[in-house]
Amino acid sequence: MILLSYATAIIIFCIGLYTIMVRRNLFKTVLGLALMESAVLLIIVSSGYIPGGVPPIAPFSGQAVNPLPHAFTLTAIVIGASDIALALAFIVKLHRHYRTVDLDRIRGLRG
Amino acid sequence: MTLVLAIMLPLLSAFLIPFFHLARKTLSAGLISIMGLASISAALAAAYTGWYSPAVSLMGGWAPDIGIALVGDRLSSAFLLLTSIGSGAALACALEKFGGGPWRFYALFFLLLGSMNGILLTGDLFNLFVFYEIFSVAAYLLVAFSMSWQALEAGLKYLVLGTIGALFILLGTAFTFMATGVLNMALLAEALASIPRETLTAISACLVLGLTIKTGAFPVHFWLPDAHSSAQTAVSALLSGVLIKVSIYALMRVCYIFFLGTNGTVFLAITVTGSLSVLGGHLMALRQDDIKRLLAYSTVAQIGYILIGIGCASAAGAAAAVFHAFNHMLMKMGLFITAGNLSEEKGTREICGLTGLWKSHPVWVAVFAVLSAAIVGIPPLNGFMSKWFIILSSAGAGTVIPALVIAAGTVISAAYYLRILSAFISPGEGSSSGLPPSVPRKPRRRSISFAIVGSFALLCLVLGVMAFSPFFRECFSSIGQTAVDVEAYVGLVTGR
Amino acid sequence: MSIRPFIFRIAALILCVSLGLMLFRGIAALPVPEKVIGPAGHYLARTAGETGARNVVGAILFDYRAFDTLGESTVIFTAVCGIAMLFSRRKFHRSSRGLSFIAKRGIGIMVPFLLMYASVIILFGHLSPGGGFQGGTIFATVTVLLCVVYGSSFESQYFPPRTKDILESGGALLFSGIGLIGLAAGTGFLSNIAAGFPAGTFGSFLSAGSVPILNVAVGMKVGAGLSTIFYSMIKMLDAENDHIEGGRPR
Repeated sequence: MILLSYATAIIIFCIGLYTIMVRRNLFKTVLGLALMESAVLLIIVSSGYIPGGVPPIAPFSGQAVNPLPHAFTLTAIVIGASDIALALAFIVKLHRHYRTVDLDRIRGLRG
Repeated sequence: MTLVLAIMLPLLSAFLIPFFHLARKTLSAGLISIMGLASISAALAAAYTGWYSPAVSLMGGWAPDIGIALVGDRLSSAFLLLTSIGSGAALACALEKFGGGPWRFYALFFLLLGSMNGILLTGDLFNLFVFYEIFSVAAYLLVAFSMSWQALEAGLKYLVLGTIGALFILLGTAFTFMATGVLNMALLAEALASIPRETLTAISACLVLGLTIKTGAFPVHFWLPDAHSSAQTAVSALLSGVLIKVSIYALMRVCYIFFLGTNGTVFLAITVTGSLSVLGGHLMALRQDDIKRLLAYSTVAQIGYILIGIGCASAAGAAAAVFHAFNHMLMKMGLFITAGNLSEEKGTREICGLTGLWKSHPVWVAVFAVLSAAIVGIPPLNGFMSKWFIILSSAGAGTVIPALVIAAGTVISAAYYLRILSAFISPGEGSSSGLPPSVPRKPRRRSISFAIVGSFALLCLVLGVMAFSPFFRECFSSIGQTAVDVEAYVGLVTGR
Repeated sequence: MSIRPFIFRIAALILCVSLGLMLFRGIAALPVPEKVIGPAGHYLARTAGETGARNVVGAILFDYRAFDTLGESTVIFTAVCGIAMLFSRRKFHRSSRGLSFIAKRGIGIMVPFLLMYASVIILFGHLSPGGGFQGGTIFATVTVLLCVVYGSSFESQYFPPRTKDILESGGALLFSGIGLIGLAAGTGFLSNIAAGFPAGTFGSFLSAGSVPILNVAVGMKVGAGLSTIFYSMIKMLDAENDHIEGGRPR
């Protein structure tokens, strides 16, 4: 059961990586980054699941799930959001100069 | 306690800078120099502590398996010395050029400094990732600081590739956590020996790929030439000299602690990547017309040398790699600052336009000649000594191809550095900014930059000669031994 | 020359598929956990006693691994500093008019309740799920809502950019200051109960030592930061829209 969520997350990760490598539109690159980040977070959160577990708020009414992945996910969400906000800010500034977000026309730096 | 202060003093300076800016509009250069001196002396104090009495500092007083531990040993203190010297030099150049005006630049600079010390001192894998992200975001912003379209494009490319690397590191950390349940690097060194084979392959692939993207080795180096050439002079020097070395430290720490006993193919992969970087970097540098882009590709090649040293998986290889990292910082920072100043004087960055400099700025050209001789590897200078040590250690590890690659690389680098020097020495047809050569240009104050560059060139000479002395070799081989001695590291943290 | 991108796409596809297979084999080889192993077991068993907080995740974020949280809020600080720098040259001349009268009145009634909701999530972060990050994000969402519904000039009147700057740096300094108190007490940087913060009675509002204070600091920082990011980007787009459409009637 939990293996299904791992498999889904890995498929989303690979789709994100493929998008970044292949697509020529800068917004799709940012979407690829967001997909990869969401996939990694899904893997982290799924890893803490205990079948039949309860939320980790003391006092527990049973076996609580692993609280450590929750803390990592919170940290990683914030870091990923900052990265993507910065990427979007760069794209907005670049668009003002080039009037396009097509990567083939933005390649000013070559070689 | 010094370990924490080395990280917190730069971060506190960065948090205080917006308050000072709100109080009075422009910061004084004196205030920034005081903050810079405080941060650098804290880092040097931590380096001193780490060298003579390796220390562990537990955050919040919690034991290493439930809290975060900061570890300072000889490898960390060597790199702390490197980053202190490099960032001090870059801060001095930036202060000379900009004054106290751009407050966000200095805020980002101190954030970068604090996070570099954090990476060098941490003993926890997830904490390494967090500080690596602060470091990366500050680096992207410093590259884009001048806000020309090239700088923005370079910053975006750096951001996309850097974030992909960071996500791979996070994925490797997630797998590690799933397999073992602990995140402290010392405890992981013991726990990784008993996990399934496929999981170990996945972990090593993700971590090594992520860390290699961040160091700019050959197949994934695409961000490096753009970022290092589009930034301003002081920032380029900082990027090529110091930031890359911190990424190398992270790679060394993770590979030696996790994979030395468990997965030997990692080191083979690193050696192959290093050899490809040497060849690729030098060949691409040969084709360049822009001097800063050429120096950036030269950085890719030098990273290849360091990776070959790491891939030997021995104490001698680690020592040679650290020595070459130190030398490269001195040489490349000097080269970037000199090239930046000379191209500003001439108004162009093309090599064919940088003519007649031997007449107008003879001392700068002389210093450039010494530094390029060092980086190519002429015998009494330090570049030759560190390359020689790398060749020796890779021969000791049993492979002969890296030695051939290094020799070929030396020849190619000699070719393009000679091309630059001949352009400098050839008589110019007049200044390319359009002024007739008899009109005196307004002299800019460059004395601090020149002092820094001159002292780096002198240090190259001194280090080259000192490499013959046994005391010096003792120092570096002890660094190499500390790097590969996993049991000592585990014993230091767990107290056994 | 259209064969070359095609080959590149096939190569990228093969690379991604093989990466995915390797990762999946790595995960599938691990056993499914029936109980919690390692440090997580320590956290579940001893959080109430050692920190006085009911929310174990909050205790991990703000007590055991508080150094990570300091690093993460520094990432937001850096990103905000950078985005404000990227958009600093553009001052807006006009602001949008906002939405219709019904929307303005309706949102005007709701906003105090939204602010109260955000404050509850921050202040009760050590007792129930929530904390500084979640509440700070909701604060930022309220300012975004004000920008959209009333126009960015209204929002900058009530929450001027200088105030947001002060809040953000103030939150960062508060966090570091609490850490330094622990360092001065000799028990380690960012220590909680051991440095003398009162543990209080378990389950009451005033408990868990420095965890509520750190929650407030992070809430200030994240809320002000995210709000600054949105405001920096929207003020430029507003000016640009006016420039393209020939300006809007005020």
